[in-house]
Amino acid sequence: MTRRLSSSLSSSIGKKALMSVTGLLLIGFLVVHLAGNLTLFSDDTGEHFDAYSTKLMSFGPLLTLAEIGLAVLFVVHLALGLRVTFENRAARAQRYALERDRGSRSFASSTMLVTGCLVLVFVVVHLLDFRFRERASDGLAAMVVRRLSEPAGVLIYLVGVTALGIHLSHAFRSALQTLGLNDTRFDRPLVRLGRVLAIGLGVGFALFPLILFSGARKHTQAAAQAPAPVEVPADVPAVEEAQR
Amino acid sequence: MSAHVVGASSKLASKCPTGPLADRWQKHRFELKLVSPANRRRFHVLVVGTGLAGASAAASLAEMGYEVSAFCIQDSPRRAHSIAAQGGINAAKNYQNDGDSVWRLFYDTIKGGDFRARESNVHRLAEVSVDIIDQCVAQGVPFAREYGGLLANRSFGGAQVSRTFYARGQTGQQLLLGAYSALMRQVGEGKIKLYPRHEMLDLVLVDGVARGIVCRNLVDGAVRSFAGDAVLLCTGGYGNVFYLSTNAKACNVTAAWRAHKRGAVFGNPCYTQIHPTCIPVSGAHQSKLTLMSESLRNDGRVWVPRAGGDARAAESIPETERDYYLERKYPSFGNLSPRDISSRAAKQVCDEGRGVGATRMAVYLDFRDAIRREGAGGIRAKYGNLFQMYERITGEDPYQAPMRIFPAVHYTMGGVWVDYNLESTIPGLFVLGEANFSDHGANRLGASALMQGLADGYFVVPYTIASHLAGRKLGKVTTDHAAFARTEQEVRERIERLVNARGTRTPDSFHRELGLLMWDKCGMARNAAGLGTAIERIRDLREQYHRDVRIPGDAANLNSALEHAGRVADFFELAELMCRDALHRDESCGGHFREEFQTAEGEAQRDDANFCYAGAWELDASANGLAWNLHKEPLIFENVKLAERSYK
Amino acid sequence: MSSDHAAHAPSSAPNAPHALRFVLHVWRQKNAQSTGEFATFHLDDVSPDMSFLEMLDVLNERLIAAGDDPIAFDHDCREGICGACSLTINGQPHGFERETTTCQTHMRRFEDGATLYIEPFRANAFPIVKDLVVDRSAFDRIIAAGGFVSARTGSAPDANALPVPKGDADRAMDAAACIGCGACVASCKNASAMLFVSAKVAHLSLLPQGQAERGRRVLSMVERMDAEGFGNCTNESECEAACPKGISVANIARLNREYLRALATES
Repeated sequence: MTRRLSSSLSSSIGKKALMSVTGLLLIGFLVVHLAGNLTLFSDDTGEHFDAYSTKLMSFGPLLTLAEIGLAVLFVVHLALGLRVTFENRAARAQRYALERDRGSRSFASSTMLVTGCLVLVFVVVHLLDFRFRERASDGLAAMVVRRLSEPAGVLIYLVGVTALGIHLSHAFRSALQTLGLNDTRFDRPLVRLGRVLAIGLGVGFALFPLILFSGARKHTQAAAQAPAPVEVPADVPAVEEAQR
Repeated sequence: MSAHVVGASSKLASKCPTGPLADRWQKHRFELKLVSPANRRRFHVLVVGTGLAGASAAASLAEMGYEVSAFCIQDSPRRAHSIAAQGGINAAKNYQNDGDSVWRLFYDTIKGGDFRARESNVHRLAEVSVDIIDQCVAQGVPFAREYGGLLANRSFGGAQVSRTFYARGQTGQQLLLGAYSALMRQVGEGKIKLYPRHEMLDLVLVDGVARGIVCRNLVDGAVRSFAGDAVLLCTGGYGNVFYLSTNAKACNVTAAWRAHKRGAVFGNPCYTQIHPTCIPVSGAHQSKLTLMSESLRNDGRVWVPRAGGDARAAESIPETERDYYLERKYPSFGNLSPRDISSRAAKQVCDEGRGVGATRMAVYLDFRDAIRREGAGGIRAKYGNLFQMYERITGEDPYQAPMRIFPAVHYTMGGVWVDYNLESTIPGLFVLGEANFSDHGANRLGASALMQGLADGYFVVPYTIASHLAGRKLGKVTTDHAAFARTEQEVRERIERLVNARGTRTPDSFHRELGLLMWDKCGMARNAAGLGTAIERIRDLREQYHRDVRIPGDAANLNSALEHAGRVADFFELAELMCRDALHRDESCGGHFREEFQTAEGEAQRDDANFCYAGAWELDASANGLAWNLHKEPLIFENVKLAERSYK
Repeated sequence: MSSDHAAHAPSSAPNAPHALRFVLHVWRQKNAQSTGEFATFHLDDVSPDMSFLEMLDVLNERLIAAGDDPIAFDHDCREGICGACSLTINGQPHGFERETTTCQTHMRRFEDGATLYIEPFRANAFPIVKDLVVDRSAFDRIIAAGGFVSARTGSAPDANALPVPKGDADRAMDAAACIGCGACVASCKNASAMLFVSAKVAHLSLLPQGQAERGRRVLSMVERMDAEGFGNCTNESECEAACPKGISVANIARLNREYLRALATES
């Protein structure tokens, strides 16, 4: 039974199903992550945001466990994505002289590997920025504000979240199709949900670099000048690749 | 010129059972020998062709435990031409409670065949028709259904009951895919060995019994023998002798003809069916003709202008100047008159100069009234895919202007002569489906070809093959036997002769010329003078063919020109026999219309006193060149009264 | 055009439409082992009423007459149902026309003077046999692995004993319309066979007759599909767009569902 299961999960559909499940779970994480991040905008001082991160850190080993779980999801998703991509390239050694698409192939669907890789790079940068860096004395919110006030930071974060949004715009629907959920009466609502998620998450995360950089919020300067003694904050970013 | 007539001959033992018609098949089955389950795996059956008859026979025999090898010329067994049948399959289920019965299906089929088929065979066909539907449904064939979930039926081909089962316009496809799936299941289980892209080029006889075949692998050109205990030819009809027909391009007579040249008697070669509703020829490049399902005649009205040479567009010809000639001549069947009658009527009006379209070789099939009655939407729901196909091929919109149709060669009722067991005059050689001559007489009714192919394969040959396997002492024969080497050598020589001709004309150009000749002289209407001329011309052309055909490349590769050339060579020989058969049959019946033999109203005039027999031709092996002896199998009607086939 | 024999028709119809010109780049490859290349042909007398394959016929007639090897291509029924024709026109299996096989594509649909690249279906699982002919027997092996209902001849109950809701029967028929041509594989950049497999799985799993083997069937067919070297589905629906019978990718969702269901229920 277990052998059957493992061999079936390494079948074409099994691999894709596993990618879909890991991808959807990572999307789930992103939703929570975005919701948490939005606390940054709930006051002018960043107090709520810092409190949220402190709360997260207080989970201790549980948090570590969650982080490991996320890392596993991310790695499995990525590894399967690469494997599937290479298998697919190998399945047709010779291309046509002219290639003309006429299905629903899109920019997003044909760049899943690229956007996935961009997201990977972004995640590494993001982790180095906020997770593996010494927590500043003035708190996480101030770190975020500082990082996203620099042109380089803004650029990296905008590219990262744009790649994520593009990736998701194919990912969610594709995952539903792979899990066989695309042929039921839930079809339309689910497709709509996918669109909402891709746009919502992409735009949602893009708000941070955009707003912070443009300095539209008054609290940025204030927060920069008023250091708040906060313990090490936590923010486990993970953005991932869903479906190729 | 006329062949030597042997007369009612012992050569043709039909082996039909006696007694009450309805009990004959059951009685015969009981009397047939059996091969015990443990012994079946010792017998190897070679099945040539994987259409409805071949696939169903191969699958059924393998399920029973026989060792089976299946051969087809296509890249996959699923592509056999049965796949193209559109309309449906008849069965005497009487699900519609409209008075159908095995007897009525039997009677309609015998009458439809113009009383030129065996009562026993046709009754058996009607009996097993009900089992076929059960079998196909069990395989998952998605027949049309009603909202209650039960099977739907329609009336087809002029039948006055609704006994036709159908799967949209793709009934043949669905039935074939059912049989193919059963075949592939046995392939997967190792019970059938499958040889796609293999063309049978000869039959191997050992001590007068069919014990193997010689094939050419169409990919690498290898000529190879296969030995077995019985050979089943399920290789379809020979309509492509006319070059243009509704048959697939690869349809050919070669397997059957090679069997004929090894001694199998050929039955009723002149009976060919011309289907009335095909898309007309558009030009010299035409490679095949496309059938428009007969079901269109349920709503379309056939007409031509009253006056000859009327070049006006259809919509500008007023009602009074239109001749709905089928409705006029056959008021009770009208546009649904049987195929042979409708086809001939179309030819008549075109011969009178009243044909339509650029070539003047077409008649209108007009949906104007039906569209007025049911709306374009209603017509689209019924025939949308057919209308689309018509539009694609002709570039004309049939919702706006009437379709142009013309008859085209569609099916051949003649074929290898077989007895009630479907065994040919060569012991151990069984012939199934369209390749045999057995069940349709001189004309086949719509939705009966699928029925016959599957009847033969699923429910007849699995029993009757035991009469051969258990009834004869069959020693072990392998391809090491000298007969195989000898036959292989002959095959190689034939191939070499074609390749080495190195002439100037392509096989296709000869084929077209032969086809045109056959269509003119041995097509919808024939006469003695024309047939005589045709025989002369065919002989000339045949001689020229072997001298002047040009085949590039060699035989050790995939060589489509060579494949075609071999088939055309056999068509040239068959064509002569068809004309001879047509010439000798001094009557008109079904698909065979001799202009000399017609009633005052121009209807076919049968001569039951002199021609109530199946004409079975045996190659005269002693003659120099091609010559045949005619054997006659008298047709005895004990249960139906021979009547004039009137559809008025 | 060949001035050969105009079978069954006057050789020039009175209002014959004017001829079209095309430049054809046709893939020529001697056999599976050799490497192929494009050969160029100029045709300047193509009738708009010709089908695409009839145009190739005319070209082949000339090649034979010149003593050259004709272009090998698979074809048979020429009415869009046998699934034999298997070439791509400008990178599109069966050409640009939707829900139309190559044999049913007519030259009047192409622009006069067009340049056409004619290639075989390309997929590692469909090795080239010669020129435009490929070996699609992988499809047969997938069907042999499980694409059937095991209904031994003679063992069937009465056909009306098992009612099938019309909706299910219609959807089964939609899926069963597959002609096994392989355009789905050829159009997919991953050479995935999911549409073909899903059509058969959907056809049989929708019907009550197919229930007994439902799980086993899908597991075996997918296992075979993978072993044949087809790629994975990335849900871009190129297959659906290329399918001459309009088989929907909804069947692929069903296949996925059936597969996961079978994983959960089959032991």
